[in-house]
Amino acid sequence: MGRRALGIALWVAMVAAILVVYAFAPRLVSDFHSRDLAEAGIFFIAIVGLNLLTGYTGQISLGHGALMAVGGYTTAALMVHEHWRDVWTIPLAGLTAGVVGFLIGLPALRLSGLYLAMATFAFAVAMPSLLKKFSGLTGGGQGLRMLEDAPFQITGLSGTVTIFGHSMTQNHFLYYLAWGIGLVGFLISWLLVRSRVGRTFRAVRDSEVAATSAGINLAWAKTFAFAISGVYAGVAGGLLATQNQIVNPLTFTFLLSIVLLVGTVVGGLGSLPGMVVGAFFVEYLPDVSTHVSTAPGVPDFVYGAAIIVVMILLPTGVGGLLKRVARPLTTRLYLRP
Amino acid sequence: MLLAFDWTQLAQQIVIGLASGGVWATLAVALVVIYRSTGVINFAQGEMAMFSTFIAWSLVHHGFSYWGAFFLTLAISFAGGVAVERAVIRPVERAPVLTVVIVTLGLFFVVNGAARWIWSPETRSLPNAFSTRPIDVAGVAFSISDLGTIAVSLGAVALLWVFFRFTKLGLASRAAAVNPEASRLVGVRVSWMLALGWGLAAAMGAVSGMLTAPALASFDQNLMQPILLYAFAGAVLGGIDSPLGAVIGSLLLGVLVNLLGTYVDWIGSELRLPVALAVILGVLLIRPAGLFGRPVEQRV
Amino acid sequence: MYLLAGALGALALATAATGAASETGVTSSQVLIGGTTPLSGNASAFQSVAKGAAAYFRWVNAHGGVNKRKIKYVYKDDGYDPSKTADKTRELVQQEKVFAIFNSLGTEQNLATRAYLNAIKVPQLFVASGATTFGKDYKQYPYTIGYQPNYRAEGTIYGRYLAKTSPKARIGVLYQNDDYGKDLLAGLRNGLGKKAKLIKSKQSYDVTDSDVRSQIARLKAAKVNTLMVFATPLFAIQSYVYAHKLAWRPKVFVNAVSSAANVMGIASAGAGKKQTEGSISIVFLKDPTDPKWNKDPGTKLYRSIMKKYKGGNPNDVYAVYGMSVAHTFVAALKKAGKNPTRASIMRAATRLNVKNDPFLLPGMTVRTTKTDHFPLDQAKLQRYHKGRWVSFGGLFRVR
Repeated sequence: MGRRALGIALWVAMVAAILVVYAFAPRLVSDFHSRDLAEAGIFFIAIVGLNLLTGYTGQISLGHGALMAVGGYTTAALMVHEHWRDVWTIPLAGLTAGVVGFLIGLPALRLSGLYLAMATFAFAVAMPSLLKKFSGLTGGGQGLRMLEDAPFQITGLSGTVTIFGHSMTQNHFLYYLAWGIGLVGFLISWLLVRSRVGRTFRAVRDSEVAATSAGINLAWAKTFAFAISGVYAGVAGGLLATQNQIVNPLTFTFLLSIVLLVGTVVGGLGSLPGMVVGAFFVEYLPDVSTHVSTAPGVPDFVYGAAIIVVMILLPTGVGGLLKRVARPLTTRLYLRP
Repeated sequence: MLLAFDWTQLAQQIVIGLASGGVWATLAVALVVIYRSTGVINFAQGEMAMFSTFIAWSLVHHGFSYWGAFFLTLAISFAGGVAVERAVIRPVERAPVLTVVIVTLGLFFVVNGAARWIWSPETRSLPNAFSTRPIDVAGVAFSISDLGTIAVSLGAVALLWVFFRFTKLGLASRAAAVNPEASRLVGVRVSWMLALGWGLAAAMGAVSGMLTAPALASFDQNLMQPILLYAFAGAVLGGIDSPLGAVIGSLLLGVLVNLLGTYVDWIGSELRLPVALAVILGVLLIRPAGLFGRPVEQRV
Repeated sequence: MYLLAGALGALALATAATGAASETGVTSSQVLIGGTTPLSGNASAFQSVAKGAAAYFRWVNAHGGVNKRKIKYVYKDDGYDPSKTADKTRELVQQEKVFAIFNSLGTEQNLATRAYLNAIKVPQLFVASGATTFGKDYKQYPYTIGYQPNYRAEGTIYGRYLAKTSPKARIGVLYQNDDYGKDLLAGLRNGLGKKAKLIKSKQSYDVTDSDVRSQIARLKAAKVNTLMVFATPLFAIQSYVYAHKLAWRPKVFVNAVSSAANVMGIASAGAGKKQTEGSISIVFLKDPTDPKWNKDPGTKLYRSIMKKYKGGNPNDVYAVYGMSVAHTFVAALKKAGKNPTRASIMRAATRLNVKNDPFLLPGMTVRTTKTDHFPLDQAKLQRYHKGRWVSFGGLFRVR
């Protein structure tokens, strides 16, 4: 009885701690910096999704920045062309990106490893060109600017947002929105990973041949993994568009896809808690690099060097480190006498 | 109808496509070398080639003859490739593949940043190894340098084939890439084989840079980035483990992109690359290992 | 615009002056201005626009500043991504509380922040972009003003010149497929007027292309004899070299962005002197790589400031631009009065008449009025002759 109760108590304490941090973090930083925290939350959502695909199902994607573009442009187009309010576009942004993710997953049925990476990479490379071409919908090279063309669809335009009588600044609202969705997305992922679907994913990752022999439908598993990671990326993209009030092809180059992959690997493939660290890493590294020096080339150099150093020190990411540290603790906790 | 069609223009565009593709082929071979010998795609290959180009420029600028600079740059690049492998890849040799991929992405920024810091961003030029005098054959113009570039790629392919097939070192390198554990048992120094692979790829990359810069008439730190994209595409089309495939794939891609741009109006310049990539995707769906690649067999 | 301003009213109050006597970003000893510029990534070569300006401000500060205040100029990295521009500009306004946004670089990048800055009445001064809209749309965006001669106007000059001197030309255009290239093309059409049908072929390229061989071949196949090169330096050089490889020698008009002497030098070396001979362009800055300015006092001042205040590479014409725009800002600040406010500097910026800018061509005036929001609208035509640019004709309006 004692050990089990201790285990449950620890879980409850952890959840409570997370909620407390969530609720009070904005107070620790200036109002404006809540936006940076919000952007970290946006990256968190995208890389939790990418982790499901790459960490758990073993499918490499270099195209998730393009899926964020799908979500972001869905949000922007709905606001500007259909006059939807920004927050209500988010579910549709996720859905659209999920559908596109599914479509991208289809080549995965035929291609593997490197070739799949190349196919998704091609999608990421092509995205800015596609966005520029269909300019009637996307605003072409200039993109869509919601502050000019859909100002009244923006939540918190006046600077304050009031929810259920409780009032907060727009920057705080963006933070609560991003991390609120992030926590929900994390929970869903956590449940998914522990369910039959999660075991299916891992079976596909560990050995496709064995998985097929065990009766798993590879096609379903792979495309579903692509689709659900697409939903996460689309939601993240929609939130990014909501926060910046602008979408532009230059925001969604293949560099973004690379940033997401870096965040996932640094966080630790197959580790959900590591994703928090991964998100903060990709959010704050560019600023840190510029602070070191603004001499030409130095910010890029520092950025790349930081990535290399982290990978050398933690080859399995922060998640790998957490697992190694946590294992002695948890085994002691759950080991029967 | 047949006579009204501008056959000269078609031939000219094909020749131009081969010239562009020939430039991409040089980098595509470097990508294949690194993949064949280490199993990794090096995202920084283009930037390393660019860095080598700047080294060549500096040497020429400081009074070296063109060929003196060329071979010295080759040697320095080989050494640089080995050094990079020892410093940055060796620590993650046994880590998951994606970790190594991320390291090469980091390397991309490191090399790019270093090149921007050491050399100012102004436009520079590198002399051409071959003559650029225009030659006209039946209304279609090209120059020796276009042929020379393709010849160099094919020459490199031939040298690599000889190396991998007929030399002991080449055999050891192939073994190390395919089955490191078994190779160690047989006495192959796997670690150094990887370093060799990186050195060779870096040297090939240097050749690519030193041919690309004059082919594109000028260069700066952004030189190799579009080339990397096309080289990847060409190598994948041809089969990422086949050097000859990389060359042929790049040449085909060059012709494809040019003909699309010339004859299919609605494509415009924005969609040339995406359409070409879509074509490659189509090819891959039919032949998942590329045109000349070896299909991967899995033991159950 | 008014509705937007009203809705953002609370936000405007949040960023407005806290004291009765002084404006946000202005203290008794300092004026704080900020902007965005690409410090990382592929466009980072353009950072010299900010760094040249920063060096100039350091020189001004060392000589007493303006009305006893030093100018503090902060620039943040947006990596050429308009979303980041929006974010960093908000940071400058909300967090660092700058007096004005100054010298931010890029067309899309500045468009991303224009509505926001105008709604909260923060000046968007001297935008580093050649897009016409920054000077044209002042009625809608009164707090925004550009600086350099705009691309459309430049294209118009070439069009007018061609209509007058070569009424039978067969014109072909190589242009970059974005606002910059399209503006130049639109200007060309505008300048040609009724003769617009002289344009026989238009070939565009994307910045992600590796080369423009194919486009040059198509232009030659269209039997073009006058080639308009509306492209950045790398692609402009390629135009000369690939035309040479096709044994084709059209008359070339090359846009100002790619006309720097060192760029033309590379083109001449690669394509032969005959290929570049007779090329025409416009100029408004003193190009530091052009030997004719070596003994010029303005250029000497430029070089000494670059050296002493670490402005970067002195051969970079973007740095000259940066110093010129900084010089103009100082003039506007002086004119804004002993206690400058955002409204007063905006008013000063739209009433400029600066005649002594050492970095612009002799005789140029930086002039704006209530209805003319184009500070630099003069240029000279120049012809490339025996490896040197030689201006001809006088200074004229580029409108």
